[in-house]
Amino acid sequence: MDLVRHLRYFIVVAEELHFGNAAIRLGIAQPPLSQRIKRLEQELGVRLFDRSARQVRLTGAGRLLLTEAREIVIRVDRLHELARHGEDSVLKVGVPPDLAAAVIAALVAGFRETRPEVRLAPAEIWTADQVAALTDGTIDVGIVRHPVTAPGLHFGRLLTQSQGVLLAADHPLARGGELHLADLAGQELLLPPREGEPGLYAEVLVECRRHGYVPAQVHEGAGLGLVLAGAAVAFGPREEVPGLAWRPLLGSPIALRFSTAWRAATDAVTGFSAVAVRTLKERAGMADEGATPARRVSRRPGSLA
Amino acid sequence: MSDFDGLFRAAGVTGWLHAADLDTGREVGHGSDEPVPTASVFKVPLLVELCRQADAGLLDPASRVTVGAAERAFGPTGVSVMLDDVTMSLRDLAYLMIAVSDNTAADVLAGVVGLDAVNAMLAGFGLHGTHVAHTTRGLYQSMADDIGHGWPYLDVEEIARLRVLDPRHTNRSTPRETAALFGLIWRDEAASAESCAWMRTVLNLQVWPHRLASGFPYDDVEVSGKTGTLPTLRNEAGVVEYPDGGRYAVAVFTRSFSPAVNQPRADAVIGTAARMAVDHLRR
Repeated sequence: MDLVRHLRYFIVVAEELHFGNAAIRLGIAQPPLSQRIKRLEQELGVRLFDRSARQVRLTGAGRLLLTEAREIVIRVDRLHELARHGEDSVLKVGVPPDLAAAVIAALVAGFRETRPEVRLAPAEIWTADQVAALTDGTIDVGIVRHPVTAPGLHFGRLLTQSQGVLLAADHPLARGGELHLADLAGQELLLPPREGEPGLYAEVLVECRRHGYVPAQVHEGAGLGLVLAGAAVAFGPREEVPGLAWRPLLGSPIALRFSTAWRAATDAVTGFSAVAVRTLKERAGMADEGATPARRVSRRPGSLA
Repeated sequence: MSDFDGLFRAAGVTGWLHAADLDTGREVGHGSDEPVPTASVFKVPLLVELCRQADAGLLDPASRVTVGAAERAFGPTGVSVMLDDVTMSLRDLAYLMIAVSDNTAADVLAGVVGLDAVNAMLAGFGLHGTHVAHTTRGLYQSMADDIGHGWPYLDVEEIARLRVLDPRHTNRSTPRETAALFGLIWRDEAASAESCAWMRTVLNLQVWPHRLASGFPYDDVEVSGKTGTLPTLRNEAGVVEYPDGGRYAVAVFTRSFSPAVNQPRADAVIGTAARMAVDHLRR
């Protein structure tokens, strides 16, 4: 019997405490999963789960063995990792294609300082494709935007980036102080592609609508050409781009959430994750996620009569 | 007249409208027979039935009732926001119900008049698409039941579940029938001539300038009406009277794409669309 594979099944069932959910996460049917857990119990000579009640519980022995099982699986993954990369290793990293070039440069430089023996190979990939690339091992670690869900992925510390509005320098809204989302009424909006950033796309549009801005048309892409042409506006952190103006949004209604993501934690992955958190905070205007202040809704009598 | 569509869309709403010349019977509409939730516009049929019961000697509009401090309905105006017991005549409560859309006043009057009587009156006038199912308390209770919390309602998915926005489950009418009800009041057909004159006075005292009235920014044009508002929904129906004697009943019902509470453009398009309709009738 493939002990390591059985231990992986055991860990997932122990995390879910539900055979159906665990089977979904593992992408297999429930009956074979139950059989494999039984085989593992026979092999080890102990009962791992208490299935007498309507719920699944870890037995005392199960709890004890879970810690060891995790240790074994992590070490086996490390073994494969090391075998794959050899001594002169490469860390394949996914970054959002619209992350500023200066930020990517700072990531590479920062990582080189801490881990000179590992070469960083960044690839520009949107969040949805990063999830697939992490799952099939095309990349080792990524910087993804939330909300994102994927079984088996681990996420680093959540960072938020408050967005302002990018508009053409000669746009009528370009002068002045803050803008409110409702001021953008009538403007077309440029967002990252929906297929690549489904969570962000949906969340930003809901927030726009809630604040009274329903874009007449939403363009998808990373290039700011349409914005430069004055045909659309975009959201982004404060940025100095010739021909573009940036204005803060009143009440910070749009904040994008980022984190690093990985499937198997290696030293290089954890090292990159730490560098990424530091760099994104210093260079990309990101901050630790705080409690978002409750939004006030003005109750003017005429708006309720 | 697809001009209306473009006008409504530019203001971020979908709209339905009916306008009628009260003297010639000429009409113009945009979805005139669409069933729509009335929101507070239902206070107009309630006012009519109050007058008819007064005309019939069933109640004395000058009789006073006391509204206890504990009997307040949710609402930002009138008795609804007052802290102490209020003793007031039925007709003064009716004035507050219309002039500032006072929800507590409306619910007290609904208790006196009876919603069944209001619906029987509407059926008697052949307004079969107009129905009052709830008091204002009922409307807000229905929203709280659907969503599990009180106002404000800003989540698009939550708003999609609100039964008060589905004409089958709430106070409803059509633009044509609401305009027709105003026609009855202005032609002294809704109740006695004396009662109709008083209803016109009260409807002319409505305080809101941002919807129907905003489309007619002239000192010599009278705008009387009643608004209605619920999440994403903004209505106003009333009568516009021109200096040459032209009188037009107009009913405008809108739903906004955005759930934002404060949308001046969505309020103003009610006036702009009404103005476009009246211009059409005067051509």
